[in-house]
Amino acid sequence: MGEVIAPAPPPALDVTDLQVAYGSRTVVDGVSLTISRGEIFGLLGPNGAGKTTTLSAIEGLVKAKSGTLLVDGVHVQQQPLEAKARLGVQLQSSSFQAELPIEQIAKLYGGLYGMKLSNEQIQEGMRDIGLEQERGKRFKQLSGGQQQRLALFVATIHDPLLLLLDEPTAGLDPQSRRGLWRRIERLRGDNRSILLTTHSMEEAQAVCDRVAIIDHGTLLTTGTPAELIDKHEHDPRVVAEAHGAVTLEDVFIGLTGSEIRD
Amino acid sequence: MTSISTGSARPSPALAMRSLLRADFLVLLNSKTSGLLSFFPPVVIVVATTFGKSQSRLGGPGLIIGLALTIGLIISCLLGYTLALAHDREIGVLQRLRVTPAPTWMILSSRLIVQVVINLVASIVVVIVGAILHGLAITAGQYLLVLAIATLGAAVFLSIGQALVGLVRSTNAINAIARLLMAVLMILGLVGGTGLLGDTLKTIADWTPVGALMTLFSDVLNHAAWSSQTSYALLACTGYIIVFAYIGIRWFRWESR
Repeated sequence: MGEVIAPAPPPALDVTDLQVAYGSRTVVDGVSLTISRGEIFGLLGPNGAGKTTTLSAIEGLVKAKSGTLLVDGVHVQQQPLEAKARLGVQLQSSSFQAELPIEQIAKLYGGLYGMKLSNEQIQEGMRDIGLEQERGKRFKQLSGGQQQRLALFVATIHDPLLLLLDEPTAGLDPQSRRGLWRRIERLRGDNRSILLTTHSMEEAQAVCDRVAIIDHGTLLTTGTPAELIDKHEHDPRVVAEAHGAVTLEDVFIGLTGSEIRD
Repeated sequence: MTSISTGSARPSPALAMRSLLRADFLVLLNSKTSGLLSFFPPVVIVVATTFGKSQSRLGGPGLIIGLALTIGLIISCLLGYTLALAHDREIGVLQRLRVTPAPTWMILSSRLIVQVVINLVASIVVVIVGAILHGLAITAGQYLLVLAIATLGAAVFLSIGQALVGLVRSTNAINAIARLLMAVLMILGLVGGTGLLGDTLKTIADWTPVGALMTLFSDVLNHAAWSSQTSYALLACTGYIIVFAYIGIRWFRWESR
């Protein structure tokens, strides 16, 4: 008798032909992407390209006009709460209740994900992100870098299958940025999947397994950073932007244009 | 942090609600302004009206305590709850909560429940202080009725606040409108109710949320028999709750942009 092979687990995220519109304006148009388990995927794009809206649709914050969104095989539109339970989210602005002590923030979000955290667990978590001394402080009393670290801690408090990070290193100093990359690497080691948006090509190359460049709501290209450079290094738009060897940033500027976006 | 479990199943609604209630309660306690708004103004009114002849001019102790309770509810609901909700919406606190598996009704209900509980505690304090200072004997049944009306009053002003946040996106605009609305309601309900501004305005005032609520409080505290005016006041309050809560829920937006 043949050996029974267990079916492969569904991908962490499967987006098919996603369309999102605000009124008559289509801001995400036919985006499709798949993120495997343990993969770090970067979504790159200029301001207003549709990165945050794509993330918002996966998070259930905006309604998709059409398309399918599956998180670990769970339909985001049909079973939103079940899908949200599998997601860890760090929004662009890390906003928690300003008057709430940070250990209470950890307890609140633990509870929302069905976890009763003991004081020891919270203490351990705070130590892990270097906020042990600050755990009695209110959120508004933390510095920007501390708030960002807390936001990532809260996003991973329930050990989610898929982590969505919207510009996680925006506004951080180089030390804090490197610290965050280390934490992202550790999550990869735990077989967590991550979808992050960023403006930083350095960040994309440092932490992402694959990246996609999005503009005007459409995915322009997808692949590993090295594949994107190989694929587009002879594109005249990319060559025109390159000063020496073609970089990921040259590919990005070549494909999305050099005009400044607001 | 040590991994505890891989989040996948939908979490327990009871634990989520308890967590939200505890957090909202702590936020309210830590925000001293909100606490002061609930307790300080009504207590000042019952204390200030013990001096001179103000007690008889204002219609007796029942009406004074009713006035203090109503003003306390207006201030804490229209300024406290409404502005806190608008502010949290603007800085993204509501969106952050919305990406969790907690149902959206739970996020708003928790805030409303905490606000109502604070209003009830404030109402008990005001009635006790008022009864002592104004020499009013209040039975256990009256206390219960006062609590019931305070809950009704809180629901009226919270629904008005919810409607305001539903219809207006800008926090600054909400701040300005809430203050203006509060002033208009107070003037119309209090001054209009005395008849100083004429009979037409008195009739209008009696039907305003403030007028209707003061009628109910004063009837309870003065041992007045149930009258048609009491029924109309109760009906008016119920109507306000239905209309404004509908507007506040129907047009509520989770982000201010």
